[in-house]
Amino acid sequence: MAKKITRRKFLRDTVIGGIVLGSGLGGYRITYGQTKKPAGPIKIGGQGAISGAHADYGWQMMAGATLAIEEINAKGGILKRKLELKFMDEELKPATAVKNARYLVTDWGADFLFGIDSSGSAMAVGPVLPELDRLCFFCHAATHRLTEELVAGKGIKQVFRMVAPVYQDALAAWVFKDSPEIKRWAGINCDYEYGYVAWNLFKENIKKFRPDVEFVAAAWAPFWTMDFSSHISAVMAEKPDAIFATPWAGEGVMLLRQALMLGVFEKIQAWWQCMGGSVDLLEGISREVAADKFKGKLWATARYIHNYPDTPENKAFVSAFRKRWGKFPNYSAEASYSTIYAIKAGAEKAKTLETSKVAEALEGMELKTPAGTRLIRKEDHQAIYTVPGGKVTHSPDYPIPVLGDLKIIPAKEYFRHPPFTPVAATK
Amino acid sequence: MKLKYFLLGALILFLFILPIFSGKYILYMTIHILLLSVFALGFNLLLGYTGLLSFGQAGFFAIGAYACAKILLVTPSLLLGTIVGVISGGVAALLLGYLCVRHTRIYFSMLTLSFGMMIYSLAWKWREVTGGDDGLVGIPRAPFKIPGILSINMNPMENYYYYVLVISLLSIYVLYRIVHSPFGLTLKGIRDSENRVAYAGISVRNYRLLSFTIAGLYAGLAGSFLPPLENTVTPPIAHWTHSAEPVMVTLLGGIHTFSGPMVGSIIFYIIKDIIVRYTQFWLVWFGAIIVFLVLLFRGGVVIFLTERIWPLFKR
Amino acid sequence: MGNMLEKLLFQTLIGLSFSMYLWLLAAGLTLVFGVLGVLNFAHGSLFMLGAYATFTFYGKIGLNFWLSIFLSLLCVGGIGLILECLFFRRIYHIDLPYQLILTFGFILIFDDLVKIVWGGVAMIPPMPRFFEGSLNILGRPFPYYNIFIIFAGIFVALLLWFVLEKTWWGRTIRASASDREMASAIGINIPILFTNVFVFAAMLAALGGALGTPVRVVAPGIGTSMIIQAFVITVIGGLGNLKGAFVGALIVGILTSYGILLFPIFELFIIFVVMAFVLLVKPEGLFGK
Repeated sequence: MAKKITRRKFLRDTVIGGIVLGSGLGGYRITYGQTKKPAGPIKIGGQGAISGAHADYGWQMMAGATLAIEEINAKGGILKRKLELKFMDEELKPATAVKNARYLVTDWGADFLFGIDSSGSAMAVGPVLPELDRLCFFCHAATHRLTEELVAGKGIKQVFRMVAPVYQDALAAWVFKDSPEIKRWAGINCDYEYGYVAWNLFKENIKKFRPDVEFVAAAWAPFWTMDFSSHISAVMAEKPDAIFATPWAGEGVMLLRQALMLGVFEKIQAWWQCMGGSVDLLEGISREVAADKFKGKLWATARYIHNYPDTPENKAFVSAFRKRWGKFPNYSAEASYSTIYAIKAGAEKAKTLETSKVAEALEGMELKTPAGTRLIRKEDHQAIYTVPGGKVTHSPDYPIPVLGDLKIIPAKEYFRHPPFTPVAATK
Repeated sequence: MKLKYFLLGALILFLFILPIFSGKYILYMTIHILLLSVFALGFNLLLGYTGLLSFGQAGFFAIGAYACAKILLVTPSLLLGTIVGVISGGVAALLLGYLCVRHTRIYFSMLTLSFGMMIYSLAWKWREVTGGDDGLVGIPRAPFKIPGILSINMNPMENYYYYVLVISLLSIYVLYRIVHSPFGLTLKGIRDSENRVAYAGISVRNYRLLSFTIAGLYAGLAGSFLPPLENTVTPPIAHWTHSAEPVMVTLLGGIHTFSGPMVGSIIFYIIKDIIVRYTQFWLVWFGAIIVFLVLLFRGGVVIFLTERIWPLFKR
Repeated sequence: MGNMLEKLLFQTLIGLSFSMYLWLLAAGLTLVFGVLGVLNFAHGSLFMLGAYATFTFYGKIGLNFWLSIFLSLLCVGGIGLILECLFFRRIYHIDLPYQLILTFGFILIFDDLVKIVWGGVAMIPPMPRFFEGSLNILGRPFPYYNIFIIFAGIFVALLLWFVLEKTWWGRTIRASASDREMASAIGINIPILFTNVFVFAAMLAALGGALGTPVRVVAPGIGTSMIIQAFVITVIGGLGNLKGAFVGALIVGILTSYGILLFPIFELFIIFVVMAFVLLVKPEGLFGK
């Protein structure tokens, strides 16, 4: 008897559950069925980090893409169709990035994808692209494996990277190869793919020029580290001459400020902050730079800096960006701006939006972009362009610090070339 | 009575014909709902039937997911991945459960929390095995293979949907039988009065351990659904905030009904998907809904519907 | 060898300053559990709100550093008052899962609310001028600010001890923590006492957040990442035990700092092993009765 009642109760509950499910999904169908129109605007789906300590990067991406889309729409769009943008938060989580990519393509109906800040997210989204049958233009994720392994290795032709990869971070090897007084290097690096690769690539390259250098310590800071004092004091215990640091965005600012507190710049000769040329990071330390707290020992690069190259394209871009957003463009903004123009160039050359044809059209193409001439290399779909390294300095021409004393090394010298030899992505 | 069987059948039929008229995204969301339902149902065997609140279920979920991912990266066989995922989740739950069931109430919750976070920190830091913070990527959605008999391509979302649907329905049915077996009744007895059951000569601890292990098996199963779907697994799935998910949906649906966790899962995703359409700040609304429910409808949605709304129709 | 000892000593000092933020957070958490019987996940959110409030008064409006801290304590205390009177008061008698999930709901609410009000971007205000500079310890510079944090933490610990042991208010708190009915019978107004304790705990959390503002980042989610460590501390020290919480904070803070130097892979793992070990061997905590 008791059993019968519980079963009845179960059934009753299930039925109600079913009604809720049915009505919910039924409702979905109605709202979703209308979103796919064949010849509306060209839909461009982006994603980046727009929350958390790295939120400025996603915002810059959105800002750069929006600027390009407004410019192109004002001139009639691509193939006579206007562009439409939707931008989502990647949260720097691979699972979220994949979910977003699926949503953007299968539900919202995106024709192209772009963005993505984290290397982990990029490596997760890359393999899904063939199934989604869309091109994705990566505008920040830096791991070499994205282009070397996924494109050149596995032949995933839907991946394009418009931004300088982690090769850029290893530029330190070229900048410091002629400083004989710097022998002992220590690393304070991100405890994820990007951190390992940047550090390993730097070690590999500087060893080639300078067999005498030693790597005396390495501390690994997980994502979302707020207090670096333990890491700084752990590497400073080994008395390094110079420090190679990868934490970026707000974390980079924290790291540098805590290093100042711990008196690091009294003891070392140089500090290489890989992505220290990023606008948000420079803004974060502008007070300290103005007061010369770093004693001219802070060096950095970025994946684009607004004061290089000195070309009309770049000047026009920077002034348009500042006019539209009241800020200096960061590299993720330049990369997404150039991405939209690359989509335009590819689609107009292929005369279609078809994924494989646009991909083919873009291979080997040279584009004039604010960061200089970008060559989209055929083998690995990596955009090749030069970004200098420099010393973080205070300049009367700009409201925020800039990179000065620029060391310009041609990209083909410090970029890796196919066929690729593996770089360890572990400690 | 017949009407109810009819409606249950209609629901199952509806789920089976869903791919015919719905897009990929709906299927994708429905897979997530099924996954969370299985996860939460197993969890509720602990909470609703045994009276133990685990805050470490995400750990077993993650073990299932990582084990399945590891298998798929080596041998492309979906079934093998699922089986290994389920077993890993269950074995881990059995081993850790042996320690956890020594406590009840808040101490049990804290103990499960600490084991869950240990699993999280391994997933996060043991890069050689788990891929560290970047997780495991490029996991294939391998074909469903029984050697010598058949091999079904799982790449189309519809096929994978059917795979998850069939296994979920089976496992839900099995859990339903478990709950209504003498074993299930004993668990309820333990929940209501531990001493009375102990006087009857039953080892309370063994029953709790078995219940914990079954919950681990279900968490492992839910976890093993994830890697083929997302093609990636990352440490946050083991984090304590993910452990809060089955707690939330179970309380949302109601802990004292079998279907509560399922209904809670459906509502969770529907609320999330609807709110995300209007604002990126969906969590503030979801948090408010939770607070509201805890303060006013502690029985959960199912009880609310069956005891307040359903009678209105009967009249 | 001497070098190694020096390294460890310096790392201990660094860990000690980190411990103090944890202590300020865990103190309120364990106090609320001990007296009110609720384990409050959202306690970390109050820490975060303290940091945001200080950032606003000090970094944005440009008020005096001390005044900013004082004002943020008042603000977060006010939020604590609202929380207790409107929500927490209604959950003291209900089952554990509901209690926990209600407080979890507030984490979600507060994390998103600060995004709505302050935006999702991380913010770092400038350092107060009088704290710049460092003291030379073991041949290495140790920031004045860290020294200040260590003393502030110890000061709060002494203050708490004094309040609980030597004042009438403290005695009523201890009385109601050990036997609620009895305390009520001898004329202690329990509801008002609970409200006071909750507000006081909220202010302690806010103080932790506020003191961290100049050197740590202010961002959504900073409370959520700290609260779990506070849980560990509370468990190690014994749920509801303040002395235990102080020692627990030292253990967790210093262990984390050593972990970065010595065993980076197991840095987090070790802490939870300690937690599980204490729960299994001495569930009442290192300093439990």
